[in-house]
Amino acid sequence: MARPTERTEPVLHNRLAVLRTERGLSRQDLADALGVNYQTIGYLERGEYNPSLELALRAAEYFGLPVEALFSRRPFTPMSEQLYAGARRTTKSDEPHA
Amino acid sequence: MTQSSAKQDDSRIDRLPQRFRRVIAVTTLVGLPGMYVWSAFWLTTSVPNLVWGQLSFLLIGATIAGSFVLYRFVRDRASMPGAGLDERRRHLRDQAWVLCYQILSAVVVIGVAIVAILVLGFGRVVTLDATSVGAVALSVGVLIPILPIAALAWIEPDPPADA
Repeated sequence: MARPTERTEPVLHNRLAVLRTERGLSRQDLADALGVNYQTIGYLERGEYNPSLELALRAAEYFGLPVEALFSRRPFTPMSEQLYAGARRTTKSDEPHA
Repeated sequence: MTQSSAKQDDSRIDRLPQRFRRVIAVTTLVGLPGMYVWSAFWLTTSVPNLVWGQLSFLLIGATIAGSFVLYRFVRDRASMPGAGLDERRRHLRDQAWVLCYQILSAVVVIGVAIVAILVLGFGRVVTLDATSVGAVALSVGVLIPILPIAALAWIEPDPPADA
């Protein structure tokens, strides 16, 4: 039998911390916006609490992004890596063909 | 939409590490029954009254002081229906109640098993005098309301470092 304190649910990766920092929000600001306790934001960011679908959708709505941009079952590729990969592709396609 | 509690309201008790909370929870739950067990044992010894009194006071004090700390830490987060709790706190509250049920079930099953073994296995006669019934009734009356609070203080994880 699983003890109540054991974590049994799978880890859900998220980009909440990045998005919050990017927009200059404190945990309290985000908590107020989403209607949760500020500590809940900390647990969400650390991946120690998986949000309900309703809270996930509320967060996505707040950031104006699709929910899969915030939460994923697989680890996210770092945003910087994605950005530079995109930039490299653009540069290569701009080069004149020999 | 649920509430958000103000960060600035947090006191030292609100930030008690889980390890300390667990020690306080166990001490609180063990204090009062421990006093009765100690008193029953003391009756069979020649330990002076002063020692009995001091140790009993310490054990009762552990339950009283521990209850205050746990109530202050948990506040109304262990209560039903939990208006004002966000979904994570409601989830934790539910886990605490499950833990309470498991603890109570274990205590009842173990208690009944011990009596059954004594009576059926060893043919002992188990008698309950007024003092024993009073001790059990008072312990149950005091500890049952504290149990959900102690369980919640036990399972609540430490808050994120920079929260």
